[in-house]
This record gives sequence, structure tokens and C-alpha cells, in this order.
Amino acid sequence: MAKLSRRAIAQYIARELSDDAHRKKAVLQLAAYLVDTRRTKELPLVVRDIEYYLSESGSVSGVVTTAFDLTAETKKAMEKYVKQQTGAKDVTLDHIVDPAVLGGLKVTIPGHQLDATVKRNLTILKTQFKKI
Amino acid sequence: MNFVSYFAATAEPSNDLFGALGIDWRLLIIQIVAFLILVFLLGKFVYPWLMKSVDERQENIEAAAKAAVKAQEAASESQEETAKVLAQARKEADEIVSSAKLEASEMLSNSEKKARATAENIAAEARADIEKSIETAKRELHNEALELIAFATEKVIHKKLDKKADAELIAAALEEAK
Repeated sequence: MAKLSRRAIAQYIARELSDDAHRKKAVLQLAAYLVDTRRTKELPLVVRDIEYYLSESGSVSGVVTTAFDLTAETKKAMEKYVKQQTGAKDVTLDHIVDPAVLGGLKVTIPGHQLDATVKRNLTILKTQFKKI
Repeated sequence: MNFVSYFAATAEPSNDLFGALGIDWRLLIIQIVAFLILVFLLGKFVYPWLMKSVDERQENIEAAAKAAVKAQEAASESQEETAKVLAQARKEADEIVSSAKLEASEMLSNSEKKARATAENIAAEARADIEKSIETAKRELHNEALELIAFATEKVIHKKLDKKADAELIAAALEEAK
């Protein structure tokens, strides 16, 4: 069996995921293929590519990292922001609570990242104004 | 002389002028002959040798005198030459001394210049090192201050920031990002 490119795999899976009926099957296929071809190490890259192709088709999934739990209002504001940035119709955001970011938020979506955390601002303070 | 005394003793006394004067003419003749013989002998054997000796002596004396004159002249010349040489030597010595003084002065001047330049270089390097150290210290202080500020801010925010304030912060960040 010829080795498929990561791009081809991602495009196929993204197309399949767009269809609710084939979603579960597509995930199983992907897992089986990567195990069979011993390419499981490529999984994060494949997922990133899939997210990219999904975002092109109007379905964006991303990750939001904050120091505290989000209120419903804040979640809505975030989805609105992502829609504005990507023009997507459907937005899915996974939420991670990480006290290490101190405050603010970090939104990671395919091809775009907004890092407005306090931790990052402090890092900028330490690095950007540091004299070498 | 016994022979002469004999003749004198045997001579008869005469009454002529010689006799009156007490002169025995025979004795006189004998004496004259003896004298002539003596003169002849002296002239034949003694005088030539004596004269030769005297001549030689005179020649020696003249030669010595000439040599003395020559020596004196030579000494005089030598003295003059010595004086000239001495004068020349003194002149050269003076020149050498003055040139040595000049060279010493120049060397001293050069040494002073070199020493001054070296001292200035050392001072400049020391100043540069000090400035560099100050700059490094300032930079390190600045960076450490930044670290401390960040650390302190982190601690303060960690304690002070609550869920409500964080929500406001997020809203502001999203508003700013639009």
C-alpha cells in the first residue's frame, strides 16, 4: 500500500468529519491507519492539519487557556471573537484552566493564536526590555 | 838629565854675554835640540793622534749638538703636534660631550613622551574598563530589576486577581484584539 501524505490524510478526515454520519468512523479509520502504518508519532501534526482544513470549510476548533473558569458570557465573547477572526460558521473551543497563566486568556485556533495572558506580558517585560 | 848635568858640570865658565847672564850656550843648544826632537816626536806621533781624537770628539760634539738641535726641533714639532692633537682631541671631546648631552636630552625627552603616552594609554584603558564595568553593572541591575518586577507582579497578581477581575481582563483583551 502506498504511503499517503499527511496532507491527503488530513483532507480526507476533515471531509469525513464534516459529515455527522461519518464522524466516528473517520476517527477510527485515522487511528487504524496511523497504527497500521506506524505513523502514530505524526498524530499531533495530522490533527493540526485536520483542524486547518476544517477551519477552511467553516468549522473552527481551538483551545482556550485561562487561569479561572469561564463564565457563559465570556465563552460567548470568545466564540464571537473567533468567528470574527476566521469567518467560521461553527466554532468549537476546548477550555483549559491553567493557573500558571495568572490571568487573561490564550486562544489557539488553526493558523492563529491570541496570547493575552498576564504570564506572557510578564515574559515580554522580562525579555523585550532586557538589556543584552 | 844626568847627561845634561854632566855637560853643564864639565863646561868651562865663559866670560861672554851668555856667561854673564848665566846661560850655558852648549846646554842651551842641547836643550833646543832636545826640544826640537820632542817637538818632532810629538808632531810625528802624538799630535796626529791627539788632533784626530780631538777632531773626532769635535765631530761627535757637533753631531751631538746637531742631534740635540734636531731633537729639540723634533721635540718642538712634537710638542706642537701634541698641542694640535690635544686641541683636536679636546674639540672632538667637546663635540662628543655636547652630542652626548643632546642625545641624552633627546632620549630623556623621548622616554618622557613614551612614559606619558603609556601612562595615558593605561589610564584610558582603565577608564574604558571602569566604564564597561559600570555599564555591565547597570545592565545587570536593570535586568535583575526587571526580573524582580516580573516576579513581584506575578506574586501579587496570583494573590489579588480573582475570577471577576480575570473576566474583565479577558473582555478587555478580546476588545483590544478586535
